[in-house]
Amino acid sequence: MLIALALVAILGPMLARGAMAVVFRATVEFRKMQSDMHNRGNASALEAEAADAAEARKPVYEMLDAFAHGVDTQLLEREAAQVYRQVGEELERRSVSAEVRQEVRRLTRNLRDALIEAYQAADRATAEQHLARVLKHADDERLAGTAAERLFDYARDYREHLRTLNFDRRREYAVALAEVQDAVRRLLGPRPDEPTPPLAMHRYGATRMDMAARVLDGLLHAETWVEPVPGKPLVKQRIPREEQFAGTRLAALFPYVREHLDEMLRPRLTFHPQYFWDDSIPGHYFGGVGPEILGTLALTALAILLAFPIGLISAAYLVEVAGENPAVNFIRMCINTLAGVPSIVFGLFGLAFFVHYVTGRPCVLAAALTLAVLVLPVIIRASEEAIRAVPPAYKEAALALGASRFRCFLTVQLPAALPGVLTGVILSMSRAAGETAPILFTGAIAFGPALDLLGWPPGGWLFSQTRALSYGGYDIAVGDRIAAMVPHQQYGMVTTLIALVLMLNITAIIIRWRISRKLRG
Amino acid sequence: MIGREKPEATAVGFDRPLLLTARQDLVGYAGGLTGRAVLFSIAASSVLAVLLIFAFIIREAVPFLLRGNDAAAGLSLANLPTRLGELFGSDQWHPEASVAPEFGTLAILAGSLYVTVTALAVGVPVGLLTAVCLSDVVPFSVRQAVKPVVELLAAIPSVAYGFFAVLVLAPLIQKHLDVPTGTNVLNAGLILAVMAIPTIVSISEDALSAVGRDLREASYACGATRAETLLRVVIPAAHNGIIAAVLLGMMRAIGETMVVWMASGMAAQVPAPWWDLAQSVRTMTGTIAQEMGETVVGSPHYHALFVLGLVLLVFTFSLNLATETLLGRMRRQGGKKP
Amino acid sequence: MTGVEKAEPETGSGPLLRPIQVRAPRQLADADDKTCRGAVIQSKGFSLYYGPKVGVENITMDILPCAVTAIIGPSGCGKSTFLRSINRMNDLIPRTRAEGRLEVAGVNVYDRAVNLVNLRQQVGMVFQKPNPFPKTIYDNVAYGPRLQGVRRRSELAERVEQCLHAAALWDEVKDDLDKSALSLSGGQQQRLCIARALATRPTVLLMDEPCSALDPIATGKIEDLIAQLREQYTIVIVTHNMQQAARVSDRTAFFCLGKLIEYGTTEAIFQNPSCKETEDYITGRFG
Repeated sequence: MLIALALVAILGPMLARGAMAVVFRATVEFRKMQSDMHNRGNASALEAEAADAAEARKPVYEMLDAFAHGVDTQLLEREAAQVYRQVGEELERRSVSAEVRQEVRRLTRNLRDALIEAYQAADRATAEQHLARVLKHADDERLAGTAAERLFDYARDYREHLRTLNFDRRREYAVALAEVQDAVRRLLGPRPDEPTPPLAMHRYGATRMDMAARVLDGLLHAETWVEPVPGKPLVKQRIPREEQFAGTRLAALFPYVREHLDEMLRPRLTFHPQYFWDDSIPGHYFGGVGPEILGTLALTALAILLAFPIGLISAAYLVEVAGENPAVNFIRMCINTLAGVPSIVFGLFGLAFFVHYVTGRPCVLAAALTLAVLVLPVIIRASEEAIRAVPPAYKEAALALGASRFRCFLTVQLPAALPGVLTGVILSMSRAAGETAPILFTGAIAFGPALDLLGWPPGGWLFSQTRALSYGGYDIAVGDRIAAMVPHQQYGMVTTLIALVLMLNITAIIIRWRISRKLRG
Repeated sequence: MIGREKPEATAVGFDRPLLLTARQDLVGYAGGLTGRAVLFSIAASSVLAVLLIFAFIIREAVPFLLRGNDAAAGLSLANLPTRLGELFGSDQWHPEASVAPEFGTLAILAGSLYVTVTALAVGVPVGLLTAVCLSDVVPFSVRQAVKPVVELLAAIPSVAYGFFAVLVLAPLIQKHLDVPTGTNVLNAGLILAVMAIPTIVSISEDALSAVGRDLREASYACGATRAETLLRVVIPAAHNGIIAAVLLGMMRAIGETMVVWMASGMAAQVPAPWWDLAQSVRTMTGTIAQEMGETVVGSPHYHALFVLGLVLLVFTFSLNLATETLLGRMRRQGGKKP
Repeated sequence: MTGVEKAEPETGSGPLLRPIQVRAPRQLADADDKTCRGAVIQSKGFSLYYGPKVGVENITMDILPCAVTAIIGPSGCGKSTFLRSINRMNDLIPRTRAEGRLEVAGVNVYDRAVNLVNLRQQVGMVFQKPNPFPKTIYDNVAYGPRLQGVRRRSELAERVEQCLHAAALWDEVKDDLDKSALSLSGGQQQRLCIARALATRPTVLLMDEPCSALDPIATGKIEDLIAQLREQYTIVIVTHNMQQAARVSDRTAFFCLGKLIEYGTTEAIFQNPSCKETEDYITGRFG
């Protein structure tokens, strides 16, 4: 009832979102990334796709550039200065007299300065004035055929622009333009002509459509903080960018992007099981949880390996051999105590004892030892129950046939108890896999290389620290600024852990159900 | 008695001796003794583990508890009262302050208390109600179906609960209750309740079942309704087990680390006003988890964290003892194994 | 010969409703009969106590080989206790204490130096409720020989077949020895347990109410089996079913409240009991 509801309510969304780490609509950017990082995918098909996408994106860049030319005065000034330099170089190459050279250069310089003043003019009239000065020389034959002609193009361009430009808002536009360009970069990746950014996370645009949707939203809306009532906390307000850029040349960008997003990104429903064994780039912006899974499995397996023999033998002793004396009662009390110790205290113990005394440093071995102590009472209890549940008739029959107590246990009682014991082992595996506190100080890290199981010396990996699903889940949920940008990674890691634990538990439940059926029938 | 003289049948078919040789006897005896000793020592490993845990936690807590006011002075029992006063007399926890570090744990203890009480306030009624329903109200098949679900709920790792608390519940709380932050007592308390409920349900349900049909039937025979039977007869009869269940739930809540680390806000303060559950607090477990990673081994801070661990250990140990006693009483009372 | 029960008991409770059939007394095997492998069991003042409680007290009787001896009596009279003492199965119960001598083939089984493993292999036991191991039929029967060190597969297979034949179960299971023993019917399971007990080549077979959990047809089959086995083994059977005791056994012992009341040939016990308690029990006055 309520409980089942709670279970579904909590697990449902998390599992659903986690599943999105593996099944999602991937864009061409994703395929590019996979191809670059892992050599996956059909290279030629990818190239064709990328070319198509680039086609669709061209108008975006063109619109941006065009607007930038009107707004980003620094850019324009730089371009003007560059023209001047180019003219100078051309003149060097051409064989003209020094006088002519000087004159042309002077003229170009004047034009450049006039153009720059036009750019920097704070109102339309002044700008027009300066532009007129520039264009007066448009037909000057001294400049024909030189790069200086570009100055005239710029001037004409700018004049066009002035028609629609709202001067007062130019600074505002500059800032907003920067935001839009940033959003476009996050959406579509770096421009084809830009150098490759150093950080992997900046090299590609939105790799998933859900991410793209978020970025698109940021692109299409501007956010500001306003104070609704003086003294109260600021409130976020959203303005559609179309409004913000209304009347300018850039206004057409936004509907275009909105409508042509699919063409620019080419999404395709993808099943990406590589998530489970890929490594991730630091910060988990891209990649999978392979190292975490490996770490968790290694820790769990090692812990069980250590605890199982001791636990089983202890249980056998308690059921078969122990009498009712104070020593045995004390042992039982200690087992109960162990079962009740909080997991963080285990972590402290692991730090104080295993790390400082046994292994010298936090590592897989120390963490596994700590987990083993944590899990020991679980195994003992489950094994004890299982052994007790074996019908005494079997034991009687075996003894009556001349088996010694030991052989009777080994050949009759233990095989009969095995399903129950196994259930206990599986449950303790699930417990060990899910625990975070005991491994916090004893061997878990959030960033680092995956365990090198096959490296040299053999077993060396026992003494290195490791990533794990449980600790990684914590870190990615609260510790990581970057990870907040990729919620599918967050949910993915937690879901992997939950799925692992649930699988183990359901296996245990099935085994138990089958035994009870067998015993009844 | 009629007997017939028959020569000793030296068991024509059985050729093995019925008596052990002296050597066999000795070897067997020695082997048995060794075997028992080996088994005993392996079983005693649990004892070893517990002793080691206590030993090492105390060992690392002592340097704080017994140190003097300046670093040079050695450890002495005389310092204990001062240190205890320092720990439990103040709510200012600034262990890393360079000038005058303070180790007042009252706020942290209060945090643990707040979170636990909230968890129990929500979890005990729901858990008891569910247990009552499972044992007395719903048909057996439903009970069989629900038990695995409850177990699954108990098996979900605490990190996952913490995740949910931080990424799903916190924004909800923040939005709907119009509070500055969603990680607070309420958040942590609710999640802890959900975590404690399976424990409470399963132990209470066992306790209620162990009461047996006779008592219930006797009550019905006197004309009581089902509700009256439950309230006046069954639940009081199972009170040992129910109290044990609540204590176990409490143990779970107090000892939980990840959820409170992520969802309680980690502010070392006592909520003011005292009933404002939407404020952030910090628990013992969270403090240890958060600060141990950055603490220099051997510093007073390090040892102070072990003191917190010791408090936790002692507290849960006592709860455990109490629970075991109650459960033992329940078993003896009911005559059945829970 | 049909024995006629005594009519007109003193208190006039009326004659027994069913006549107790006793078989004709059989010629017991003589000394150099090679097929007889059974051992003599001699109890000399044997007593067993569970802590302060009396299990059996001062039992003195000789159990003859290659014959079936039945132990009858009301519930709680110590029949099973005595039976289980013969192969030291009472050791499983804490705080048991034995006095007197209980000898199998001349050796006091409560001697400190007794080889329990060998004793229990020599004295086989079949329990009230069939308890085959949750293993295959083959593995059930092969369990005993494996304990004895028989490793070669051919030898084991031969032993298994022999014992299943002897237990009159071979024809029913020979096609599928790898089936789980738990899939057999109750009667079949009990015969499997008998085969299992025979597999260690014992000289004595103890049977603790072997048919009480079975239906009449299965009971009949087991009784026939007992009749066949008696040629080779010493069989002691505890039963609360007097008709069964009369059908199956050569000699009968009557226990009551931990003491041996009367012991003699079955014919004599059922047709001419010398003790009053025996007579009362047989005529159904109590028990």
